Amino acid sequence: MAINLKTSSVETREQRLGTIIGWDGAASSLAEESAFSRGDCASCGSSRGAKARRVCELQGPFTQGSVCSEQMVECQAGNVRDAVLVQHSPIGCGAGQVIYNSIYRNGLAMRGLPVQNIRFVSTNLRERDMVYGGAEKLDRAIRAAFDRHRPNAIFIATSCASGIIGDDVESVARACEADLGVPVIPLHCEGFKSKHWSTGFDATQHGILRQIVRRNPTRKQDDLINVINLWGTDVFTPMLKELGLRVNYVVDMATVEELAQMSEAAATVSFCYTLGTYLAAALEQDYGVPQVKAPQPYGFAGTDAWLRELARVTGREALAEDYIAREHARVKPLLAALRPKLKGLKGYVATGSAYAHGMVGVLRELDVEVDGSLVFHHDPVYDSEDPRQDSLGHLVETYGDVKHFTVGNRQQYQFYNLLQRVKPDFIIIRHNGLAPLAARLGIPAIPLGDEHHALGYQGMVNLGESILAVLQHRKFHQDIAGRVRLPYKASWLAEPDPFALARLATV
Amino acid sequence: MSKQLKQIAIYGKGGIGKSTTTSNISAALAESGLKVMQFGCDPKADSTNTLRGGEYIPSVLELLAERRRVDAYEAIFQGFGGIYCVEAGGPQPGVGCAGRGIITAVELLKQQRVFEELDLDVVIYDVLGDVVCGGFAVPVREGIAEHVFTVSSSDFMAIYAANNLFRGIERFSSAGGALLGGIIANSINTDFQREIIDDFAARTATPIVQYVPRSLTVTQAELSGRTTIEAAPNSAQAEVYRELARRIADHTESKVPTPLNQQELREWSARWADHLVAAERAESERQREVA
Repeated sequence: MAINLKTSSVETREQRLGTIIGWDGAASSLAEESAFSRGDCASCGSSRGAKARRVCELQGPFTQGSVCSEQMVECQAGNVRDAVLVQHSPIGCGAGQVIYNSIYRNGLAMRGLPVQNIRFVSTNLRERDMVYGGAEKLDRAIRAAFDRHRPNAIFIATSCASGIIGDDVESVARACEADLGVPVIPLHCEGFKSKHWSTGFDATQHGILRQIVRRNPTRKQDDLINVINLWGTDVFTPMLKELGLRVNYVVDMATVEELAQMSEAAATVSFCYTLGTYLAAALEQDYGVPQVKAPQPYGFAGTDAWLRELARVTGREALAEDYIAREHARVKPLLAALRPKLKGLKGYVATGSAYAHGMVGVLRELDVEVDGSLVFHHDPVYDSEDPRQDSLGHLVETYGDVKHFTVGNRQQYQFYNLLQRVKPDFIIIRHNGLAPLAARLGIPAIPLGDEHHALGYQGMVNLGESILAVLQHRKFHQDIAGRVRLPYKASWLAEPDPFALARLATV
Repeated sequence: MSKQLKQIAIYGKGGIGKSTTTSNISAALAESGLKVMQFGCDPKADSTNTLRGGEYIPSVLELLAERRRVDAYEAIFQGFGGIYCVEAGGPQPGVGCAGRGIITAVELLKQQRVFEELDLDVVIYDVLGDVVCGGFAVPVREGIAEHVFTVSSSDFMAIYAANNLFRGIERFSSAGGALLGGIIANSINTDFQREIIDDFAARTATPIVQYVPRSLTVTQAELSGRTTIEAAPNSAQAEVYRELARRIADHTESKVPTPLNQQELREWSARWADHLVAAERAESERQREVA
């Protein structure tokens, strides 16, 4: 399915990939239903040609709470260091920037970059603007943003509000771009368009691909690797240095020039296919920059395969083999010391989709038992459509099945039943909203704010140590559990099926 | 794409005969061997009825309401002469946002590259009534259509709607929006009707593409669920539509219109009202004298 950069708005994940947000069963079944394996699911009707894949989906009667596409634009486009994000929305849509600012500042500090605040401007759409249109207000906001910050690019996040009234964001952007002389990039991320917020990643990347990435570059940087990431510690620079490669971190905390030079790079990689699938595939399709098609760099099997494929694409096989051998020798004794301490423990992973596939693998490397995992959505195929990127299939084949593998949109009420079903000793999360409920059940959480923490060979050691550290808090969590009540009815607390409401609604 | 796709939009006051006119243009173009798509942008989803033997087709929005993933081809049906028929559809009257519906439907087809894949010669957007909000302006403002035609009779409200459309086109003209191809003067059967529409066209620097008389043949054809081109191919009215279709197919240069402002439009209509009253009085006096 080719990526279409001609249209101004990105095709949603549901349409492009057949993304679902409700499913419950064994990981092996989901991997089998997904398009990498056999294409359409017969019982849900077939899709035509190369369009969206179909996987049977459980649809709940309501969605308790999650984030939206616009927030993914905030945390990506809003974190480009010399750009400004204009949010064409009611002011409330910008509330998430409070937390994103702290993450951004921490990220900059961890990378040794000058710490600064997020620069965003809200058009503060109000009822009057909903009636009369907000285009003039947007025009004023863009010009004000330029005057205040002199950015090298201005991103515009649309919103449900601007989308419903059909504001003509495109022509305002074109006019401002002509006057201001910097790219003014509309990112169509109306929250109602997609049930899954990861479409917001794609919306940001779509705009960058259309208006920032340098077309027909005059130079090629043969040792430059685009690394699609968020705010994590800089683990890629030392790792890729072993292969004689330099890192171009995108999108978060990059400069506009660093985004522009993506078309000059030798290859594109990412820490997570959920985040990186669109940008990497489009860079390959429209700019000829190959994306590394291999399992994600988690655990021995994934990291080995990932490094070897990167080395193959960039012609550095001997360096990679040498590095892999040294790292195996270095890490294996460390893991051997950790494993006896971790054996017999049960972990639960509740993170974004492809990232969870990697985390379960790392836990299995550590001899931690995993019989349950919650992923927030599932892409039955990634944009490359290449089975070498089938992260769920890789997990099942390399590390065995996960009995209770759940796709769910971070529903607190379901999370309770999910945890009750497997009763883990700890959970791994990236989104802190899940920790309080687990704490009330006496389960401590490892919040992987730094998404690179468990990556590569060292990542296995890191995660093992984090597990031991968090288990020190177990008594504290058990005390919490002994003293709090959950806000759910007894009937729900006794419900063994997290999707009972969805199944009822389907009947 | 192997050939140049021509995309046009047809606007006009509700009930003025846009769908009738559009369907007959589509039918005539298909008859001449072109690959045509008609894209109905009315929540009623009845634009393409007469191309499909009076049958309604599921709209893009109906399909999207049922499920989140829609293959655009599920919303495309072939009708008379192989014409591809699509209906954007929309919410029930008094509910939701119809303009948003058009945006969504157009986006779906564009994203899935349907126009390129079908290798079309012409796409005609039959857009609901007036340009009342951002959604209805989409075919104009984003340059999805390159040329806009308006169907108008000599009735004041039809002209009012046409003038509003001109304002919309003028507004988006500098940003790469579609430009005005001309007026399709509909239901023009008398000299004074022709004078009125000619005068409005002259004042707004707009060409009249074709005069289309009101005809019983059209009504009969529609009652049988067909276009005039299909139901009465040898009729004079069918020839009128064929000529209209030829002119639209050959049309290359559209312009920025010069709409009247509110005051000018009022004064213009008041002058015509006076003129018609005077003419009527003169006629009745003449008849009295004859008597």
